[in-house]
Amino acid sequence: MLQRLTHLPREARDTLFLLAVIAWVILPQVANLPLWCSAMGSGVLLWRARMAWRGSPLPSRWWLLGLLALALAATWWSYRTLLGRDAGVTLVVVLLTLKTLEMRARRDAFVIFFLGFFTLLSNFFYSQSLLTAAAMLLALLGLLTGLVNSHMPVGRPPLLQAAKTAGWMALLGAPIMAVMFMLFPRVAPLWGLPGDAMSGRSGLSGSMQVGSMASLALDDTIAMRVRFDSLRPPQSDLYFRGPVLSTFDGREWRTLRSTLPQRYQLAADLQTSGDAVRYQITLAANNRPWLLTLDATPTKPEIVGYTPSMTPELQWQTDQPMADLARYSATSYTQFRHGPQKLAVGLQDYVDLPPGFNPRTLQLAAEMRRSPELAQAKAPQLVEAVMQRLRTGGYEYTLEPGVFGPNSADEFWFDRKAGFCEHIASSFVLLMRALDVPARIVTGYQGGDVNSVDGQWTVRQSDAHAWAEVWIAGQGWVRVDPTSAVAPGRTGTLMRLRPRPNVFTQAIDTVSPALSINLRALWEAANNNWNQWVLNYSQAKQMNLLRNLGFDSPGWEDLSYVLIALVVLASLVGAAWTLWGRWHQDPWLRLLHQAQAALRQRGWTVDAHQTPRQLSALLQTQIAAETTPNPDAARACAAWLLQLEAWRYAPAASSGAARALATLRQQGRRLRWPDPI
Amino acid sequence: MGVFARFNPWAALQRRIQAWFTARLTPRDSTTLTQRNVYILPTRAGFMLGLTLLVLLVASINYQLNLGYVLTFLLAGSAVIGMHVCHGTLRGLTLHLTPPEPQFVGRSVQIAVQLHSSSPRVRYGIGLAVLGSAHWSWTDVPAQGSARVQIAFTPAQRGQYPLPSLTAETRFPLGTFRVWTVWRPAAQVLVYPAPEAYPPPLPQGEPRAGGAATAQRHSTGEFDGVRAYRRGDPLKLVVWKKAAKTDELVSRDAQQAQRLELWLDLAHAAQGLGAASSGGAAREHALSRLCAWVLLAESQGLRYGLRLTGTELAPDSGPAHQKNCLQALALA
Repeated sequence: MLQRLTHLPREARDTLFLLAVIAWVILPQVANLPLWCSAMGSGVLLWRARMAWRGSPLPSRWWLLGLLALALAATWWSYRTLLGRDAGVTLVVVLLTLKTLEMRARRDAFVIFFLGFFTLLSNFFYSQSLLTAAAMLLALLGLLTGLVNSHMPVGRPPLLQAAKTAGWMALLGAPIMAVMFMLFPRVAPLWGLPGDAMSGRSGLSGSMQVGSMASLALDDTIAMRVRFDSLRPPQSDLYFRGPVLSTFDGREWRTLRSTLPQRYQLAADLQTSGDAVRYQITLAANNRPWLLTLDATPTKPEIVGYTPSMTPELQWQTDQPMADLARYSATSYTQFRHGPQKLAVGLQDYVDLPPGFNPRTLQLAAEMRRSPELAQAKAPQLVEAVMQRLRTGGYEYTLEPGVFGPNSADEFWFDRKAGFCEHIASSFVLLMRALDVPARIVTGYQGGDVNSVDGQWTVRQSDAHAWAEVWIAGQGWVRVDPTSAVAPGRTGTLMRLRPRPNVFTQAIDTVSPALSINLRALWEAANNNWNQWVLNYSQAKQMNLLRNLGFDSPGWEDLSYVLIALVVLASLVGAAWTLWGRWHQDPWLRLLHQAQAALRQRGWTVDAHQTPRQLSALLQTQIAAETTPNPDAARACAAWLLQLEAWRYAPAASSGAARALATLRQQGRRLRWPDPI
Repeated sequence: MGVFARFNPWAALQRRIQAWFTARLTPRDSTTLTQRNVYILPTRAGFMLGLTLLVLLVASINYQLNLGYVLTFLLAGSAVIGMHVCHGTLRGLTLHLTPPEPQFVGRSVQIAVQLHSSSPRVRYGIGLAVLGSAHWSWTDVPAQGSARVQIAFTPAQRGQYPLPSLTAETRFPLGTFRVWTVWRPAAQVLVYPAPEAYPPPLPQGEPRAGGAATAQRHSTGEFDGVRAYRRGDPLKLVVWKKAAKTDELVSRDAQQAQRLELWLDLAHAAQGLGAASSGGAAREHALSRLCAWVLLAESQGLRYGLRLTGTELAPDSGPAHQKNCLQALALA
């Protein structure tokens, strides 16, 4: 079998190699693809490999069309659409595998390569980790190798040769990649994308679309680091307040857009008690005009270069987006009350519901109101009743609830009974409003963990959270975290899930715990650098780079100036290199060419491929024929030519080779070349 | 309809541009490819790759994938390097042409081209063809070495026929760019007339000047005696049985050849054609019949002379004589 493998005809070998590369490209996707797609893909690839191995003909076009129709139907069945990210990825994988059954002309091969590049990119939708990048670099080299190999038409060149060429091209292309990566303007998405587009990242934005994200991948990058100067409050009190979302249009939660005149709107009315918590926050650049502070912060955080101000909803906003890493210190109190103590007109904004949405939730509220035990209930009892429903009603916390329809609260309360904190908070607040209890959503971060090295508190994007505030007469706004009712582990003494140790790490652990720790530290450091320099390379970092290059207030134009300057520089270097290459010839060859030119000038017909030995033989025949007037000069020329040849085949490392060539060059100048007969 | 179908202004324009372009080139039998005579343009696959890169870039922007940018730019960088490699595959290559042997009209002429590379890298996937034809001969040129390629073309006319313009092309390594050069060789090939396919039998011999024309001309096979081998005697005249015995070459002597001389005459050949054709075409036909007769006479080992308007080649036989005759026919 192995012998057959090394003696395969070229066509079969190339096809098998390409199939292996395609399999490697698709492999990381298998977890994200529907089962039928993975099965069909591997089946088709194996079928094609069998055909290549046996040299049997390709299937007819009807087979292809049938399989394609089947795949389209299955995609529709899996996603209810053919558009969007996940359906698109499935279709690209199907097309790529099916196209292998149709490798007839050169054009088909190109289509496979280009589909392969797409599939390669689609891996990054799901993971951009260091491992994925390494695997995909290998895949890219594989595809390039296949492409290079298909342009070596002569004989059966070893694949290694094509791989070498591909590797060199990628290596020399890497500087171009680095420059483009650093300087290509990072712009916002060019157009709105189907719902699943931006899904998978945890984090904060100024608004919240409920149910549009099918799944939430926890983004482990660091949102901020906190150094507590006083005692750190318990983890269950670590609510870092971000934007407060009070206006709902049926689909999206936004910050308050009041319909009331200014004078009716609520004031903050913040009163704090208990011990002050003093801390310093290092906030990662988020390009948002707000600071994250521990609930609640009555005094202005001290920050250089920004002017923070507090909204009536206790959020600290800044006058400009936080484009860079920022450090500020603040003082907070975990015991506080805020908001009006008595019913106020301004509270009307917080019971507002968009008409025509979530009819079943409204009905649920009406039923609760009608039930005897809640008929006369005040806000605290109602909150408790709803929390009880969340605790005991079979609701689940999940990161992959799927896409919700327009009645997201209905779907959460009655159909799916699962969601992540946004679904839970939104559904909770909508139900409270339906019960006529003023309520709003607060977004921010909850929890975090201690970095064992420097002891700082680390809050990650995966700690982003949404909770609720309910207005209760006599108490003002009171924080309620409905997610804690569904998933008690999500808040409070939360331990973030750690990857389960596998056989390999267990083995290292038992052999040498220290080695295991070191390896992990190394891996984490590499990952951290990867995150810092590749994944988090943003507009802010681009501008920083320009600032370091000496631009005072960098903008897009400066980026393009630098890019153009580099292109011009590169072409100049390239031109210089080409010129040098033209002048820089092998010194031995130059000598031979000079000798050939001298003979030609005398009237000999000399071909460029004639070796010194052949030229010498030419002269020798003339000497033997005794027709040359000056046989000694001719003999010297012939001898010199033989020496020239001998130099070429002398051991390369022999010392004095350069000197010998210089001597030959000097002797060559003194030679008198004979005329032909 | 036929006229309109054949009338294609675009193709005609292209031909004219091509002709103007090749006319500008200096003919030479040896050429070194430099920046000046190597051209590069993206292929259809190159445009496809460009489109792919654009889509990858848009996907990276819209999904904010930094790793997507890395992939896109690495691919673009590799393609740029590929472009240089592609150009470098032809740049610096030296092409030499060995003038081809004479050939008949309608038979393919083999042009041998020596590709010589002084670069330390192997040059892969270089194709050579006659400009405008689709028959490529592919070769790799080893590092600091040379390779030999045969290209065939079929001349359409007799006479000194200039070799057609040649083109060398490569798409290595990615196929996204086509790098090519056009080369006009200086050498010419001598093209003999096409031998008539079914020529009539050889004409009657003519009496030698001053001799008696009594003897009947035998076709072949009857010989009057033997004599010592003379250089140039056809092999079939050698008496091999005798040669095997005595170790000496002995030839049969055909006496009638001394009495009658075979003259292949253009005027005679033209008469035989009758009224079927006239003018230039008739002359060509006659020449091609003479050509067939020359080959026939030579293969039968006869002595034959050639008489054209203005030239006369005395009766003789042997390859050199045949060659002279054919050459005279080619240039007549």
